[in-house]
Amino acid sequence: MKTTTSVALAALSLMVLVGCSDSDVPQNSESAPNGPADSKYLAESEPAGAMPVGEARKSVEDEQMVTLVGTIGGSTEPFVDGLAAFTIVDPKVPYCSPDEGCPTPWDYCCTQDQVKDNLATVKVVDESGSPVSGDARQILGVKELSTVVVEGKAKRDDQGNLTVAATRVFVRPGE
Amino acid sequence: MLLPWEYGVRNLARRPVRTALTLVALATVVMLVFVVVGFIRGLERSLAISGDDDVVLVYSVNSEENIENSSIAARTPALLTASLDGTWKRFGVAHVSPEMYLGTRVRTKDGVGGLGLVRGVTRSAPLVRRGVRLVEGDWPQAGEAMVGRLSAAKLGAEPSVMVIGEVIEFEGKKWRISGEFAAGGAAYESEIWCNLDDFQTATKRQDLSLVALLLRPGASAAEVSLFCKERTDLELRAIQETAYYGTLQKHYRPVLLLAWLVVILVSGAGVFTGLNMMYGAVAGRIREIATLQAIGYRRRAILLSLIQEGVLLAAAASLLAGTIALSLLNGMAVRFTMGAFTLHIDSVAILVGCGVGLVLGVLGAMPPALKALRESVAISLKAV
Repeated sequence: MKTTTSVALAALSLMVLVGCSDSDVPQNSESAPNGPADSKYLAESEPAGAMPVGEARKSVEDEQMVTLVGTIGGSTEPFVDGLAAFTIVDPKVPYCSPDEGCPTPWDYCCTQDQVKDNLATVKVVDESGSPVSGDARQILGVKELSTVVVEGKAKRDDQGNLTVAATRVFVRPGE
Repeated sequence: MLLPWEYGVRNLARRPVRTALTLVALATVVMLVFVVVGFIRGLERSLAISGDDDVVLVYSVNSEENIENSSIAARTPALLTASLDGTWKRFGVAHVSPEMYLGTRVRTKDGVGGLGLVRGVTRSAPLVRRGVRLVEGDWPQAGEAMVGRLSAAKLGAEPSVMVIGEVIEFEGKKWRISGEFAAGGAAYESEIWCNLDDFQTATKRQDLSLVALLLRPGASAAEVSLFCKERTDLELRAIQETAYYGTLQKHYRPVLLLAWLVVILVSGAGVFTGLNMMYGAVAGRIREIATLQAIGYRRRAILLSLIQEGVLLAAAASLLAGTIALSLLNGMAVRFTMGAFTLHIDSVAILVGCGVGLVLGVLGAMPPALKALRESVAISLKAV
């Protein structure tokens, strides 16, 4: 009887704890990882010669085929709802460490001045070059702060913006 | 055997003053519940119907969710029109509305100055803001403004000073009211709209707050979001208008929760009021209750009769409060931070108000009746 009461109390406490979690704060994907995705856009092995985003913004020309490496982030909402597209930041740019308690470290709130020159947009495209519909998190199994290596064609404009129309994406495991 | 239905009804009429006082007390409690639930439903409705699924708002990424703080380049509408295929175009006119939106002090002719919401718009605004209807007067020309149906409530001014022909003052300039518009209860109704160029001149600004785009059928808001992500130099963000008001609704959730708490507290207070009244009523009828027991009525039948009295009284109070709420409170304008909205006494409000009323009747009558029935018949018959 005593054991039953203890178990019931423990279950009740667990329910209370679960009920108290802050649902308004976006959950860092490290605490809620996405499952492995099975997509034709995912590369099985990491493409060689990946260039960091910051370097690419300086050297890559329009229409050039590139391989970029970056961390998904740059704003509070780095993913585009409804399309497999997101922004990536050069891995050299630091973001808030977990012990700082920042609920959205992927927005690089403390290093925003460095983000502007180290940011690129990645849109996953199909054979016809059209952006793929859906959520990149589901299609690629990525999350905020995942490090990805993308292969595709660069699009540059006069303002220095860099977009990659990616045909293959490799997600570095454990990151 | 149950007591006759008429017995309970006649009992209410035997003590008219006490019955009337109880009725007023219960009606007041139910009325308070109607006010609070009407407030909740009005706010929820205002946010729920504001926004159009096909409209996308483009504004500064730095302003978070406050469009009033947004500042984007004046060339943004042209840039968006040229870059996006998803914008609706009819007869060569793109459904794109450049707007400047500010919270600013507005003064009426009687000297009342309140914080008003002013939107500088062009003639393309009605193409995008499809819920807005000009109900009286004309579209504003230079030096003129048109006012929303609830703009007077938002300013805390008399409606008579916000009518066509009157003059209001904001941003150091006088504006003649040229028309009045409605938006089906949406948030725009508490706004004042004027000509964008005039407003930019008055505020000495050349930028915009936002651009509202109407998507063509089948187009997706994701295309606009992707454009904003690609053009990082513009520092723009795009959000579906319904999603924008959805985020506002999330911000107001604590207010709504607090309001529901008030409903519970008011109802609790009402139960105690009912208890107090019914204790008094039953205390004076101990001999009568004992007599009923002595002539053969079971306790359950007497309890049921007392509950019947309480419920009858509470139902009458609910009806009275409901009639007053529907005729006087429904549609009453309420000033709020985001603008103004109207109290909405809808089916949910009626259900909650009348439900609380009936529960008051049952809960208020039961404890004193049980207490009276617990006494022995012999002692109760001798009670003074």
